[in-house]
Amino acid sequence: MNNFGVIEVASQKTKNAPGWAYVPDTGLTPAAAAALQPLNRKRAARDKANVGAPDLTARQDAKIRKDLEALDKDSHRDAQIPIPPKAGGTRAQNKHTPNVRKILQSQKTFANHLDDYQAFLALAESNPQLAAQVNKPTPTSTTTATTTARKSPAPSTITTATIEETITPDSSEPFPLPRPDTPTSLEPSTTATPPPTTTEQPKLQSYPPDGTILPAYNRPPPTPHPGDDDPLLVSRVPPFPTDEELRALITAPPLSYLEARAQWTEEEEGRYPARRFCEVCGYWGRVKCIKCGARVCALECLEAHREECLVRYGL
Amino acid sequence: MTGRGGAKKSRAAGTASPTTTLVLDNGADTIKAGFVSDDKSDDKPRIIPNCLSRDRHRKIYVGSELEKCKDFSELAFRRPVEKGFIVNWEAQKEIWDREFFDDKAAQKCDPSETRLILTEQPNSLPSLQTHCDQIVFEEYGFASYYRGLGPVFNAYRDIQSIFRTPQSTIDSPAQVILLIDSGYSHTTVTPILQGRPLHPAIRRLDVGGKLMTNYLTRLLSVRHFDMRNELYIVNEMKEAVCYTSLDFKGDLEKTWKGTRGEKREDYLSGAGIAKDYVLPDSHTRFHGVVRDYEPGVSARARKGIISTEDVLTLRNERFVVPELLFNPSDIGIRQPGIADLVKQSLLAVPIGLWSGLLANIVVVGGNSLSEGFCQRLQTEILKRFPDECRVRVARPEDPIISTWLGAANFAKHEHASRLEVTKQEYEEHGAAWVARKFAAGLGLDP
Repeated sequence: MNNFGVIEVASQKTKNAPGWAYVPDTGLTPAAAAALQPLNRKRAARDKANVGAPDLTARQDAKIRKDLEALDKDSHRDAQIPIPPKAGGTRAQNKHTPNVRKILQSQKTFANHLDDYQAFLALAESNPQLAAQVNKPTPTSTTTATTTARKSPAPSTITTATIEETITPDSSEPFPLPRPDTPTSLEPSTTATPPPTTTEQPKLQSYPPDGTILPAYNRPPPTPHPGDDDPLLVSRVPPFPTDEELRALITAPPLSYLEARAQWTEEEEGRYPARRFCEVCGYWGRVKCIKCGARVCALECLEAHREECLVRYGL
Repeated sequence: MTGRGGAKKSRAAGTASPTTTLVLDNGADTIKAGFVSDDKSDDKPRIIPNCLSRDRHRKIYVGSELEKCKDFSELAFRRPVEKGFIVNWEAQKEIWDREFFDDKAAQKCDPSETRLILTEQPNSLPSLQTHCDQIVFEEYGFASYYRGLGPVFNAYRDIQSIFRTPQSTIDSPAQVILLIDSGYSHTTVTPILQGRPLHPAIRRLDVGGKLMTNYLTRLLSVRHFDMRNELYIVNEMKEAVCYTSLDFKGDLEKTWKGTRGEKREDYLSGAGIAKDYVLPDSHTRFHGVVRDYEPGVSARARKGIISTEDVLTLRNERFVVPELLFNPSDIGIRQPGIADLVKQSLLAVPIGLWSGLLANIVVVGGNSLSEGFCQRLQTEILKRFPDECRVRVARPEDPIISTWLGAANFAKHEHASRLEVTKQEYEEHGAAWVARKFAAGLGLDP
């Protein structure tokens, strides 16, 4: 193509077109946001099946997510506060060890660290040997782990279910992963959940039975009462866990960060409908705006809402 | 060369364990710090804001220098702790340096002759833990060090006196407690048996003081003034006026203005819920003031009578904000509330432990200071468990420094000497070994 000798050079200056402009998205990455607020596909599907007006449209869902991200920030505007120079400057020329220097210079946020860790877990799942290798040199060199693991598809979307399937790392692991607890430690909870209705318990046994972990009750028993033997008044005491159970519970390794996050179980999720509030005054949201689906309480608030009700793309 | 110097000294001193202990509860919002030694111990920690703050004149305050700040408007913060874990060591080191290690530091100490007991939040990431251990030994060169779960240290307090149970002997650590820690970043539930956390049952709710302050800020910005840059002021307001409602529906009804044209009586009179909050004006008043609601004030302001003060009337904002702890779904967070958190945690332990844990629920952390919190929690937990279970919820008098006080007791306990790691051991075995030792904790031996 002949440009009459004119070579176009990409300019450093960006022009603000009236009305819109490209801006760097410095907010949370979608992956980090998903970790904070995992999208519930199941609920979405169920709501869709519900003919009576789906309550959360995709747009509202996105809005809630965005709002929550904003609520999770430390400050409204991203504050870049540099460390002020020291008056004396005595410590400035201190030498750090390589590890310390690396840590001090790291600008990673918690979300970055979490992603790295999830990526590492994914790697450990798919390829335990490689993970062990990657992790060998120093426990802190997660950078190599990330670069290799970033290629694995969407590391941070791993749900707890997949983490639980992780093979428990062998003992040659350089540092203990907070690995998912072995099934033995959770067994007592699942097997012992039905309320103990059997009354045939050895009555003479002290409660809790004397064990090495929890000693028996050693103070004088309460004064006897004639009604103690009354079958109607007998109190049912659940079986006390055995020492083995307690031992397993105490020695169980910690859960990972995402596993410890409390979540609704399947049946609890939809048990109570979510409460909706008026977006203007905070009373019950009894009326829905036709345009955007926002909830308001009554006409006065609806009018207030209408003044600023916009259906913006991407909101 | 702090690190190397410390190493030499400790080697010269041999294995003699240090006599003073620096106990640090390094929270996201504030550091609680104090010294414990055999002869002289602090009975209370110093509370240091754990942040770099910048006021609107672009002056920067590091940590406790914030005391010198008078004008809190448009204060911006940079916090080294994120989600409860120390992430940004550049900032954290600066704050620690100024508070503990500089020549003019308020709590000056020589790391090479001091033991450090540091709290951390449960379920941390291994890389962050390793960073922490490396900084403690390689940068500061503490003589010995223990990093333990914050909630667990509370077991070393006299728990039964918090419940006001008459008791002749004090178990230390307490046999069975269920600890709820509701802090700046999140709320955790930790069952503790004989000073050992039951890891599979630790649960976390990602609602904390920060989220609640931000939520209050949003409500005020929608309904009154734009307060989005005034986090400090809003936080003060939250601490002053927010309470946990024992009858949410009733309170919400009382604070409703009514439909158009009809002003409800409760709304006009305030119904004992509405409060006026006078905002600081940065000239004469630097802290907000709570006043009882005067029905006339807002009307006068509307008529244009010149008033020198900015008054906010707070109604349902007062109880909607702490409500997030009990119903996070109100703002769309897909997590169970704090009472269900307790339930989920207990479902992971054998049923025989339930009665013991439920009868010894201890609440710590700043959010528990909101009025009515313990009562509401108790009623909500009662609803979720069989009648036979006795539920007791207690809050120590000083929920914010409770973890520190427990850690200070721990420092004197023989467990501390069992768990600590000396600098020499770190140099011999490395960071991975240290992390393993801390993760293993006390183990099974009594």
